[in-house]
Amino acid sequence: MSTPFEKPQIISHIQKSLNYTIFDCKWIPCSAKLVCLGNRARGTGVLQIYEVQGGELKLNREIEKAKPFKCGTFGATSLQQRHLATGDFDGNLHIWDLEAATEPLYSVKAHKEIVNSLDGVGGLGVGDGAPEVVTGSRDGTVKVWDPRQKDTPVANMEPGAGEAKRDCWTVAFGHAFNQQDRCVCAGYDNGDIKLFDLRNMAVRWETNIKNGVCCVEFDRKDIDMNKLVATSLEGTFHVFDMRTQHPTKGFASVLEKGHKSTIWQVRHLPQNRDVFMTAGGAGNLHLWKYDYPAQRSGEDSEGGAVGVAGTVNLLQNVTLSTQPIASLDWSPDKQGLCVCSAFDQSVRVLIVTKLNRV
Amino acid sequence: MSVSEVSSLLNRDNTFSATLDHNGKVPVEHLEYGYIEKCKDVKHLEKILRVLRSGEEGVYPHLNQFCEDRLKSLDPTSRALRKEQPVATAASLPTEEWSQICEDLQRWQEESKDLEASMLKPSIFHGIGNENVPPVRGTDISVPLGQNPASKAKNKPPKRALPLDYKDWDKYDVDKECEMIDGGESKKDPAAVINSGHVKIRTRVDVTTLTEKEKLLMASREKDKGNEAFRAKGYEEAVAYYTRSLSIVPTVAVFNNRAQAEIKLQRWHRALQDCQRVLELEPLNLKALLRRATVFQHQGSLPLAAEDLRAVLRVEPHNTAAAKHLTEVDKKIREGQPELPIKGRKILIQDIEEDEEEAEEHARPVDPRQPVGGVDSVVSPVERGDMGNAQKKPYGGGRGDGASPHSDASNGSHGHHRRGRGGSWDKHKAAAHESPGPGKAANGTGKRGSTVSEPGAAKGGRPAGVDLDAPCGALPPPLARLKNEGNLLFKNGQFSDALGKYSQAIAGFTESGIDSPEDLCILYSNRAACYLKDGNSQECIQDCSKALELHPFSLKPLLRRATAYDSMERYRQAYADYKTVLQVDNSVQAAHDSVNRITRLLIEQDGPEWREKLPDIPLVPMSAQQHRREEAPTPEVLQARAEKAAQDTARRSELRFTALKQEGNEFVKKGQFQDALGKYTECLKLKPEECTVYTNRALCYLKVEKFAEAKQDCDAALGLEPTNKKAFYRRALANKGLKDYPASSSDLQEVLQQDPGVQEAEKELEEVTALLRQSLASGASPRKKVPITEVDGDQDRSTADSAPRPQEGGAINMQPADAYEFGQSLNAARSRGDAAACADLLSSVDPERLPRLLSNQLDGHVMGFVLEALDEHLLARDPGRVYRLLQSLHIAERFAVVLMLLETAERRRVTQLFEHLSAAQSDDFTKDDVQNLANKYII
Repeated sequence: MSTPFEKPQIISHIQKSLNYTIFDCKWIPCSAKLVCLGNRARGTGVLQIYEVQGGELKLNREIEKAKPFKCGTFGATSLQQRHLATGDFDGNLHIWDLEAATEPLYSVKAHKEIVNSLDGVGGLGVGDGAPEVVTGSRDGTVKVWDPRQKDTPVANMEPGAGEAKRDCWTVAFGHAFNQQDRCVCAGYDNGDIKLFDLRNMAVRWETNIKNGVCCVEFDRKDIDMNKLVATSLEGTFHVFDMRTQHPTKGFASVLEKGHKSTIWQVRHLPQNRDVFMTAGGAGNLHLWKYDYPAQRSGEDSEGGAVGVAGTVNLLQNVTLSTQPIASLDWSPDKQGLCVCSAFDQSVRVLIVTKLNRV
Repeated sequence: MSVSEVSSLLNRDNTFSATLDHNGKVPVEHLEYGYIEKCKDVKHLEKILRVLRSGEEGVYPHLNQFCEDRLKSLDPTSRALRKEQPVATAASLPTEEWSQICEDLQRWQEESKDLEASMLKPSIFHGIGNENVPPVRGTDISVPLGQNPASKAKNKPPKRALPLDYKDWDKYDVDKECEMIDGGESKKDPAAVINSGHVKIRTRVDVTTLTEKEKLLMASREKDKGNEAFRAKGYEEAVAYYTRSLSIVPTVAVFNNRAQAEIKLQRWHRALQDCQRVLELEPLNLKALLRRATVFQHQGSLPLAAEDLRAVLRVEPHNTAAAKHLTEVDKKIREGQPELPIKGRKILIQDIEEDEEEAEEHARPVDPRQPVGGVDSVVSPVERGDMGNAQKKPYGGGRGDGASPHSDASNGSHGHHRRGRGGSWDKHKAAAHESPGPGKAANGTGKRGSTVSEPGAAKGGRPAGVDLDAPCGALPPPLARLKNEGNLLFKNGQFSDALGKYSQAIAGFTESGIDSPEDLCILYSNRAACYLKDGNSQECIQDCSKALELHPFSLKPLLRRATAYDSMERYRQAYADYKTVLQVDNSVQAAHDSVNRITRLLIEQDGPEWREKLPDIPLVPMSAQQHRREEAPTPEVLQARAEKAAQDTARRSELRFTALKQEGNEFVKKGQFQDALGKYTECLKLKPEECTVYTNRALCYLKVEKFAEAKQDCDAALGLEPTNKKAFYRRALANKGLKDYPASSSDLQEVLQQDPGVQEAEKELEEVTALLRQSLASGASPRKKVPITEVDGDQDRSTADSAPRPQEGGAINMQPADAYEFGQSLNAARSRGDAAACADLLSSVDPERLPRLLSNQLDGHVMGFVLEALDEHLLARDPGRVYRLLQSLHIAERFAVVLMLLETAERRRVTQLFEHLSAAQSDDFTKDDVQNLANKYII
């Protein structure tokens, strides 16, 4: 049995039980530390900073706030500052200096209801252009914020009067390869995926994948948009090739059914955009690799360009927990290191081996 | 109806219409080995597997497994085969792998701690220069969720406040703008949008405000993006990202990668430029050489391509890719159409590296025939040694000779440039690679004897180009001529002609009745190579056997016979021969590969008892074995080795010699002098006439306080090279250890006479003189441990050391009159690492004159040194002057180039200098002035 060791292995390195419900965990860039965001039983929000130290997670700092945290990102801050943007159950967007977190650096009542998801771009050397945070909420709106502008968003994507409000479950930035171009992708509970072009301030593309969209992510935020993965409530996910947009067919995609339950998260490996991991509702993780087709665009019957999707190959799958894995984050600095949190109130640091050989 | 009847019935129909019964379930008859084995329908097999797994029809673990295997053989990626697995833990990995991972992780933790600490210290530029960040996008612009193109116009964001940059106008696409204006008519059916944003990617990144660490991170990130784009075949995009990475921090790896991407785009000129840049920074970068060869080939400069490929083969003789490419190029040259560029794309090097460390992996020999068949693919060891030196020598000599990195990259100037890189290149070229002289044709084990017997002839014959009359061992001239002609023909690929020549030579040999089995062995072996190339394995085996009778356990005939057996599918014999080869020389990669392959074949063929059917593998006597360094050298083994060394090929012993010497040097660096002594002693057994080894061994003896032996070695070294400074110096130390102070003193004086700049010697002399006086006074002084200040592991440079160094130790001219004198003074200061002197020098010259004084001498090292002097010495004294010097420095010739190629440490120095400068108070400048100046320095 030599073959199993040729594949990447997912190794559970550290497991830490917590005394609160954890919703999100993120590596702090340029460090061996991570933040955990969650909800205490008494209804307050908690933010913990752990440091990986010799096979242990050592608690560095704990901050408690009035409202439970739902999500966080470092995407819109510089590598020197590393300020954390968070969204909470009350619809607030805060930006914290983790060294002095008594008062937020930036605070706005962003939404009427819970902020389900947020994403940042323009910081960490990722993407040219202004630092911006996008938030998606149960109130059906998606808003883009610039930390330099108080109180009002720079863009607001909301249903018009009379249109049904759908719960926005996930948002992601992409296409930020120069100072002007930038896109936001949002996924809704009815299976809608919408791509907003922030340069033209218009919806560039929309589709429906029939099941609620749990997570969307571009393979990289700071390149000309290349691929988009969207995961669904029913255990399938789509990989869209974002290079060629057909006027009627839109983007080509490949559908893959990996999990038997909801896919909560998808995260691309920061060191290789064609490798990504999905986290499922049954506590399992699947590691995938996307293979490009020989030609990425072909011709339709009228001679117009139409995209061609590639194939997705499973590299490894493991079961970690009986509860859903709600968040997943690759270390931007150390290839193969990732952290995930599950609803069994624990956070796990994983090592994925042999990623450089896939 | 029995189960088998059903399945046979189904198979006769060869349809699977009856695969499901009326309930939509798999009929129970299908759950059977025979059916599963024949079933080709993946979907149906998946269904069967599902039923089996569910246990509805009972639990049959073996059948289950069988079904899985069958499915796997039909469709290895089938989803039904996916199984949930528990997460691996540390225990599920081999211990060493896990400990490696842990170590790696630990290292990363420590590194990231440092990184974080350095991140917390913001640069002085933080918070300024934010004009690069675009303004806030707007305020609360509402974007409707519907995809309604008509609403686009309404919701256009307010015009950007800033006017377009000039750079933006360069990218202004008139056609696209026109289309946009005309868009009204064609709104009904817009064309597909193809995101090929590489044209809009900014190729320069503004990093003025970033710290060094951030820049490195960003640069590597851009490189990763480039690599990813490359893998996805987006070469244009990859080039854009590599360019970005280079604009942040230029590195060899990225230049190299960009060259490869440009090759893919067939932009030869640019690819060539990138290769040149790499080679300027790292003259022997194999990948760059290979890529440049590809470019040259496509540009039609076949000789240049061949030259590059030979350079690669000199460093890595078994690089099959290069060898293959070279034969191709040589063929083109011979065909006499070197002017025609090749149509179509033949790109040789397909892989792209993540990091330079993995660089050489793809170049391992895979085809056992490649190294075996070639008569001449070995590099003679003398060149190897030289190559090592060339690699170490900085390319200082060639820098200023007109072939500056930005000179127009026409073919002529490449040649010139390469020649300018120091004489060694020419030497190689002339030395062996264009002459199939005796040294080149050396093959087989017997050759060493002949080269040793006539070393003068071998050396003399080499530079003369094609010398067919070169003497060859004990062969009489006509036979030698035949043999050399044969070698030449073989090299040119005319195997049957070469065969004729060798046959004639063999016939002549037997007639003349010379008693030289080695030479006959070589002839047979060479003829065997020809037979092998012609595909005549039978004859090849015969010749090899004859050669081996004459000279048992000779490597090449063995390998050739193995290959021949292999090609005749007589695997057992081939296996035995390969195994024998490995006993002789364990480092023959081709033999390893073949043994592995044949083992598999034989196991398949003969089952687990395959070993019993093998012919006897002869036991190779100690004396014929090579590359066995593990055990401690017993006297007998050493004896045997010395004997073998005397007979072995010049190549092998030289290789071994350099290897041993390097190992010795390594040990010295590590402080394991006892081990180093052993290595050097072995070296000297191989080559007793090597002066540097004696001096090195003397150093080791000194360190272990065996002064008498040290003295002996120094004496031996001085016998070989009567003016060797090091030998004198070390003998002085040895004499001092032996308390022979007068001798020590005279040796030191000798050293100082040769080179007055050796400060250690001066110090020693003082000490020794004092000791001498003491001993004269008291008669006997207590024995004192000798402090040895000098550790010199790198003796290869001793020749360079003993070359006269002008100005060294002498006073530095502080009032240079012209650029030449200034350069002399600066170099003198730099070679002594005397930044204070440099500061003095700089303070004595008029800042306005600096660019003129530097003329075209500015390079990275000079710049770094000047900045160091300014920062550490002059800044404290006279910040105003520093400012003026810096202001004039940036208009010096080559400044921009040098700045771009500065190393990290030097860059850090620049930042540091400006930080200090901005902190300093002076009437001559304001903080803003410093800021402006800093922007010119920090790119």
